Amino acid sequence: MIDRLDEKITGLRQAAQDVMAICGSNEAVRRNIIKIMANIKMLELNISDIKDLAEVS
Amino acid sequence: MVHHVAPYWNPVLETLPRAKLRALQLKKFQRIFAWAYENSPFYRRLYQEAGLEPGDIKTFEDIRKVPQTDKGMLREVQSRPPFPYGDILAVPLAEVTAFRQTSGTTGMPVYQADTWQDWEWWAESWAYILYAQGYRNTDRVFMPFGYNIFVAFWAGHYGAEKLGCEVVPGGVLDTQARILKLQELKCTAFMATPTYVLGMADAARKMGIDPAKDLFIKRITCAGEPGASIVATKKRMEEAWGCRVFDHVGATEIGAWSYSCLHQQTDLHVNEAFFLVEIEDEKTGAIIEEPGIPGKMIITAFDRLGKPCIRFDSKDVICWSDVSCACGRTFRSIAGGVLGREDDITKVKGVLLAPTAIEDVVRSFAELSYEYEVVVTRKADIDDILLKVEINPGFEGQEERILSQLKDQLRVVTNLGYRVEVHPGGTLPRYGVKAKRFKDLRTKE
Repeated sequence: MIDRLDEKITGLRQAAQDVMAICGSNEAVRRNIIKIMANIKMLELNISDIKDLAEVS
Repeated sequence: MVHHVAPYWNPVLETLPRAKLRALQLKKFQRIFAWAYENSPFYRRLYQEAGLEPGDIKTFEDIRKVPQTDKGMLREVQSRPPFPYGDILAVPLAEVTAFRQTSGTTGMPVYQADTWQDWEWWAESWAYILYAQGYRNTDRVFMPFGYNIFVAFWAGHYGAEKLGCEVVPGGVLDTQARILKLQELKCTAFMATPTYVLGMADAARKMGIDPAKDLFIKRITCAGEPGASIVATKKRMEEAWGCRVFDHVGATEIGAWSYSCLHQQTDLHVNEAFFLVEIEDEKTGAIIEEPGIPGKMIITAFDRLGKPCIRFDSKDVICWSDVSCACGRTFRSIAGGVLGREDDITKVKGVLLAPTAIEDVVRSFAELSYEYEVVVTRKADIDDILLKVEINPGFEGQEERILSQLKDQLRVVTNLGYRVEVHPGGTLPRYGVKAKRFKDLRTKE
């Protein structure tokens, strides 16, 4: 479950970075991507951060 | 339609087995340490002087070698560029999107910089708090506070929005208008300081409105003062409003780190997925892991990047609870909230006195109003404590009995004797934000 969620979250991060890379000087795109990435970060804090703790018992 | 039925905002983190939670904390400390070292000149200087670099933090023992920070250091660094935060800043100034500041009651204000991501994190932290206290997307939440430069309930506003609540900003309205708006909109929850919660109830009654019967409030979240974790004050608020009252502790420089859940009365969970709370013995400097032993709090916010908060000595005195909460969260709890501030707990007549102990006694008397004031002076090397109280209507003529019982109770709880003055109802100062009821005038004489 965590792995599947993390995989999708990683995809979101990559997609946001891709849009940022090609938006050039379009502030409307750039600033909205910054906000989207802040939300993606919250998903990472909630889910992705514990992905590699599976072996801890 | 109610989408969330689980008792946790995030069941993954909130029920993480302790060993994994501790592993997560270590990993996140390493990450914020490296971030600060690499991006904040202030932190890099601090750590280089201590001979530490990111690769050195491998265990919790290593964390204890990391130099602490305090409010004085945060003030001092503000004299360096970039204005007005100083070189503690770990992002370019252009990435700062929000300014707040501390109240400055203990000196020059500390200016707080947050990025957009930091504000999202504030709201996320509050989402954990509000969800644990029963807020859902069916709540209409009223915010009766001044939306200004102090962080106050700003993040509570955005946290409630994040849950899907309908948030009503009651910023510039006066107390009467706020009460009428609560009634008109049938609001189900609000957030305020304990002083203001009691003050609003008083004001409502004067308007002929009984908050417990004529309004629709189901839950209240307090912050800013310790009252919601003080038994007598919490009881007064719950009786006045006919609902549950919850506590939350946070700070401008730190974030929203602690909260009571539906199962707790005066204990507060620490959000250990977002914060590392260490309790340090003030005499030996050792870290206290056992419950019931008070010490000063050293706190780290793992995910605040604009102006990092790492091993910050908040001057708050706390202790771990030995109660395992029935809610199932694996986050540890602190007992009785914040017990006091290191600089509030003071020696009077040679006895250590915490102002919160006086509040607990005064507010346990139904015959007294919720307002009081304590003035400590020194005359000819002898400390004097004057307690000013108001007697509620209906108890006239019983002053002698009430004051005698009050003095007895204060002596039992605090081991100190008091002069008590009775003032007419409504004449002691009323406070809208942070109350200043304990006045130690000894250093000025």
